Amino acid sequence: MNPRFRRRTGLAAALASPLAFGACARQRVDPPEQVSRAEIDEAMRTPTELNFWTWVPGIEKQVALFEEAYPDITVDVTNAAQGAGHYAKIRTALRAGRGAPDVAQIEYEMIPAFTITDHLLDLRPYGAGELEDRFVDWVWAQVSGPGGEVWAIPQDTGPMGMLYRADIFEAHGIEVPETWEAFAEAARALHRADPEVYLANFPPSQGAYFAGSLWQAGADPFAGSEGPVLNVDVTSEPVRRVAEYWAGLVAEGVVSTDPDFSDQWYQAANRGKYATWLTAAWGPVFLQSTAASTSGKWRAAPLPQWESGGPAAGNWGGSTNGVFNITEHPIQAAVFAQFINTDPECTKAMATEQFLFPPTKALLEDPEFTGMELEFYGGQKVNEVFAQISETVSPEFQWPPFNDQVRADYGATVGAAIAEGGDAAAALGDWRDRITAYAEYQGFTVEEAS
Amino acid sequence: MSTVIEQPQAPAGPAARVRPRKPRPKRSTVLTVGMLAAAAYFLLPLVWLVIASTKSSEDLFSTFGLWFGGENSLFTNVKETFTVDDGAFGTWLGNSLLYAVASAAGGTFLAALGGYGFAKYRFKGNQAMFMGVLGAMAVPSTALAIPTYLLFSQAGLTDTPWAIILPSMASHPFGLYFMRIYADSAVPDSLIESGRIDGAGDFRIFFQVTGRLLMPAVATIMLFMLVQTWNNYFLPLIMLNDPDLYPVTVGLAAWQGQASTSGGASGDYLPLVVTGSLVSILPLIIAFLFLQRYWTTGLVSGSVKQ
Amino acid sequence: MSTESATATATAPAAKGRNTKGGKGPRYARTGYLFVAPFMIAFTAMFLVPLAYAAWFSLFREQMIGGNVFVGLDNYTRAFTDPLLMAGLGRVALFFLIQVPVMMALALFFALALDSALVRLSRTVRLAIFMPYAVPSVVAALMWGFLYGPDFGPIAQFADRIGATAPDFLGADLMLGSIANIVTWEFTGYNMILLYAALRAIPVELYEAASVDGAGPWRIAWSIKIPLLRPAIVLCMVFSVIGSFQLFNEPSIMRTLAPNVIIAEYTPNLYAYNLAFVGQEYNYAAAVSFVLGFVIMAGSYLFMLATNRRSRS
Repeated sequence: MNPRFRRRTGLAAALASPLAFGACARQRVDPPEQVSRAEIDEAMRTPTELNFWTWVPGIEKQVALFEEAYPDITVDVTNAAQGAGHYAKIRTALRAGRGAPDVAQIEYEMIPAFTITDHLLDLRPYGAGELEDRFVDWVWAQVSGPGGEVWAIPQDTGPMGMLYRADIFEAHGIEVPETWEAFAEAARALHRADPEVYLANFPPSQGAYFAGSLWQAGADPFAGSEGPVLNVDVTSEPVRRVAEYWAGLVAEGVVSTDPDFSDQWYQAANRGKYATWLTAAWGPVFLQSTAASTSGKWRAAPLPQWESGGPAAGNWGGSTNGVFNITEHPIQAAVFAQFINTDPECTKAMATEQFLFPPTKALLEDPEFTGMELEFYGGQKVNEVFAQISETVSPEFQWPPFNDQVRADYGATVGAAIAEGGDAAAALGDWRDRITAYAEYQGFTVEEAS
Repeated sequence: MSTVIEQPQAPAGPAARVRPRKPRPKRSTVLTVGMLAAAAYFLLPLVWLVIASTKSSEDLFSTFGLWFGGENSLFTNVKETFTVDDGAFGTWLGNSLLYAVASAAGGTFLAALGGYGFAKYRFKGNQAMFMGVLGAMAVPSTALAIPTYLLFSQAGLTDTPWAIILPSMASHPFGLYFMRIYADSAVPDSLIESGRIDGAGDFRIFFQVTGRLLMPAVATIMLFMLVQTWNNYFLPLIMLNDPDLYPVTVGLAAWQGQASTSGGASGDYLPLVVTGSLVSILPLIIAFLFLQRYWTTGLVSGSVKQ
Repeated sequence: MSTESATATATAPAAKGRNTKGGKGPRYARTGYLFVAPFMIAFTAMFLVPLAYAAWFSLFREQMIGGNVFVGLDNYTRAFTDPLLMAGLGRVALFFLIQVPVMMALALFFALALDSALVRLSRTVRLAIFMPYAVPSVVAALMWGFLYGPDFGPIAQFADRIGATAPDFLGADLMLGSIANIVTWEFTGYNMILLYAALRAIPVELYEAASVDGAGPWRIAWSIKIPLLRPAIVLCMVFSVIGSFQLFNEPSIMRTLAPNVIIAEYTPNLYAYNLAFVGQEYNYAAAVSFVLGFVIMAGSYLFMLATNRRSRS
């Protein structure tokens, strides 16, 4: 058949029904039960070009190590967009059935968004099932499907902790707060003593921070959702506690509400407007390069706790490498995703040169990693602090299958209400209503908690 | 609409540019000062941009925005802008130039041919087709973005320069509108008739004789389309994934995103966004200064803000 | 569509000394088709086909669960009762009502002043005012975003120096005004040039007599020039309707500076974009875009109708 004619008929078919686009996208490779060693070896000797979309700076290093190990495979690295744009571009490409990458950077919270549309390749047949023991339990739970599928290989994580200005704490006689109650007290006292300074900044549209806070508080709003059934429980007691806590402090005027990662926020951090940054394990090195003028004044500690019982933490950020099932080279892509995230040289470079906080047990126990003393934190072994926090993250936290929509709705409802110090409980109701309406429109059966 | 009609006539006639005027009334100092103040407002952000591009990222925040900082980092900034990310910025500038020139040239040619055809020939559906083209202007470009993306990707055109050039050529109906009005008044029918009497074909008449009369309009439309494509953000944002194909607008927005989300690099990227912005507007400003003669009389065409 | 037909019918009689069309008779009709064919083919392929596809696309609903179904006009019913879309439309309508009159008044004033020959350095001034048109809206928004910046922006710095506090340009109360300022900055010069060009085309004889009768330049501007400019003003206004209601670039860039103020549904265009690319509601996004297109057409048509009626009476 004349290729031109074929293209035309393809277009005609596509025009005949928008379904056709979906059909294209779902033309997936059926994963064989278990790919044999011989098949893998052969594939890795076949000259192949892989497309890898990532935003991770310096990832070229790991790619080079991979290409060295497998000289027949070349990896084309593309940084298509930052943040939400990254997923939007992947989705449109998957939808069009053309131009999507083989392997991509995917945050934990976005994995269900790609499994619900059946776009991720289960990596078990390619040897990923055996990797479970190498990773921290809660991280592995994040990439695992309900049927034991392995949807992606973890690359880095962000167990949450608190960075604080030891000098400000000392000047005002503030003890490092161990509970949120003590934190609130300190916030009031500090702002009263120095109206220019806030103990914390609540970034009103940072849904990821809020989600991590819920995680810490023991909430699991979408727990048990599977396939077409979506459980929504964003008005539970722990969720309300977190939302009302921040709305209350904002209403009192003792917590600022600047958008984070904005010029304004960077300037304020340098100026000493915030005495703490409630952040994640990737925060310390990040802050070091953005608030260089405050070197030596910061220290790290776990987050304050809701209950004085056992310590708990949430996770904010970090990401994985997943393989899309439209790939023509599933074996090579799967091996690549595993290699760069498990090869000792690769992962060590990630942890010690690129400062990605590791998800592997080996590195979290490696004294060379945990023993690093950072000048910026007065020589404190910051990695050790976060490695300990990582052990307190609960494995029970599930993301909704349309997390970006949930985030957008959060910003418009709860985030906005907290920023104004408004009625957080009512805003949570609005949030739930928006999520429910959207889910029902998308065909989910929504089960709200009573 | 009569003024619009008459507009193109201005450059058409040889004497039109110099309008005989009565002896000028006395100049008004108050009005002059007022207008200079207005001009200052319109230049202020550009002045800021020039000053800001001489500053390091630290000075950007710590020194007064509308005056120079301690040391002049302009050259460092420009060098950085062109070398960072393996010289991505130069690639973006080149892409913008390619997209703008290709779509302006192609689009102007199509508009000139079409506008001339609509103005000078009577055929069935003339009016209806013309009105249809104009009515299309009200449709928001976002309405077309996703369907165009899906169609283009089926044809294998997304993530190629064609995805920008082809739609930019045909989706500015104003060029056609302008050309029709212009041709209507600038090309006398008698000229076509006498060409025909000499035995020339209509296309030969157009390319050798009458087309030349359209040149002022061609220059105006071309400049206008150049600006439209150079400044376009939405279409390339959607169509292109490969940063090597970005035009400068999308590239700068990507850097801006990088400056804020990757924070650590914030200090590095912010001066690049500023300096890159300055460099990116220079070509158009130079083009406007250079082609002033045309657009001051000719740029009556209305563009849709986008 | 009707707006333009109104425009064109208004133009037809005005074109002075228009000859009968050169290509009379069926022989030349074919040539005429050949001349317009390249444009029409490109226009059809790049505009009409996607448009028709979008229209057809908007009649479906594709779900994450349950696939794709034909839903007729359901998406439109939803759009007309969607409070988020209505809020966005309200916002851009308010924007239109505030920004466009200011911009047009300024543009008109500048055009008249420059045309009056009362201003020294008029060429320089004209260029300066027009210059922002050459700045991509992305760059314009980036620049103004920095100028508005709290603490570090020049305006805030200046206010700080004189012991005042700069208003919170990026706050919820002022954001629409801040965006309006950017758009005004970008397009006043452009509108001024349009009006100025129209003024230059007015035959001098029309107000020479008035001048002889002792009417000052202000009086001439008010009684003679402005009425003659009416069609050009209407044209500018129609473009402004389109531009205001399609507002996208500026808010989308400003969003990184104030994400909690510029929410996803801030303008209808932004809403459509987010519906498609965040919410994956592609079909509904297409419907929203058509509703927006319809509002724009209706708006421009009403506007033309109103001005036509007034000029006739």
